[in-house]
Amino acid sequence: MILNIDNLWVLNVAGVEVWITETIFNTWLIMLFLIVLAVIARIKLKSFEVIPTGCQNVIESVVEIFDNFAGDALGEKLSYISPWYFMVFVYLLTSCVFSIFGFRAPSADWATTFALALASFSLMLIMGFKHRKGQYLKSFFEPHFIFFPLNLIGELAKPVSLSFRLFGNMLSGTIILTLYYALTPLFVQFGIPVFLHAFFDVVFGAIQTYIFVIISLMYVRGAAAD
Amino acid sequence: MQDTVVFLSQTVPEGRVFGLDTQTLISIGIQLFNAIILAVALGFILYNPVKDFLRKRTEGIQKKIDDSDAAMLKAKELIAEYDAKIKEIDKERLEILEATRLKASEESKLILEDAKLEAVEIKKRSADSVSAEKSRLKEETRIYIIELASLMAKKYITENIDEDTQEKLFEESLAKMEGAKWQS
Repeated sequence: MILNIDNLWVLNVAGVEVWITETIFNTWLIMLFLIVLAVIARIKLKSFEVIPTGCQNVIESVVEIFDNFAGDALGEKLSYISPWYFMVFVYLLTSCVFSIFGFRAPSADWATTFALALASFSLMLIMGFKHRKGQYLKSFFEPHFIFFPLNLIGELAKPVSLSFRLFGNMLSGTIILTLYYALTPLFVQFGIPVFLHAFFDVVFGAIQTYIFVIISLMYVRGAAAD
Repeated sequence: MQDTVVFLSQTVPEGRVFGLDTQTLISIGIQLFNAIILAVALGFILYNPVKDFLRKRTEGIQKKIDDSDAAMLKAKELIAEYDAKIKEIDKERLEILEATRLKASEESKLILEDAKLEAVEIKKRSADSVSAEKSRLKEETRIYIIELASLMAKKYITENIDEDTQEKLFEESLAKMEGAKWQS
């Protein structure tokens, strides 16, 4: 296991070099996996009963638990953006689980975490201006207009802190496991790493996913709240 | 090769952990685009349809609960209505019973009075009848006594008085009877 994010291909798009990294490729794999699962679930949805059983229970539970969670955090007014956060939650969680199978978690790349944080920041601005209009803009100049630079830095720091928090935590797990593989003899590199991956990738990953999503939801709600 | 818009480069640079350059920005753009695609796909394929299904089911169950509540309310109203009717019927029954009792009591009184009157009448008639019977018996007894006295007298006379005396007594009696008839 190496620490670097490998470049798999380099495309030249109209004269601009584009690196197709391991992160991007793994993201496509995760996307494919999740979309296939979603399609299977959608096919099963046609035969859903009023009293759920088996697979229906799992699908309903996943959607309902997340919807209640997002609904509580966002409120009724903003619940229509919950599908975005459902994607963030499922994608980050799946990327953590994928790392057990030797794939590098896309969330251990700042490009991924910043992209998601940037989307949350954009949603925060859009919801703020949509629901509070001038009041939201006015909040940048409170309690006095001289606080505007501080407020602006505070707002711009949000996606940065959000992305680095997740990236740092996921990368730390990757670094620890890389060190483990590099420093331990070969005979302890079978079996034991499973528990280390489960702890650093899945447990830490799940906690960090929850933190990322709940903080993003709070930012959006805070911006749109009256 | 240089004319094509997209082509694979022959040399691939070495990977890295973190960097703030154009490639990172491009990666951010691609990841953002991927995230949007995934969000749209999951939203349309899974999240929203399942949410709709859950919402419809909740509404259906809620409707059933509401219908049950409405039916329960209606049933309670009907029970209350029936209870009121039963109370009314009970009241009416008691009134009828009371009225009947009163009527029966009055009729009973009337019957009793009639019976009393009749009894008095019967008693009076009985008394009259007894009195008439008494008189008749008295008369019969008197006649019987007279006849018996006559017979006894006749027997006594036959056994104890001779024929001359009998004639004499007959003559005297006849004279007395004639005297009494003349005086009357």
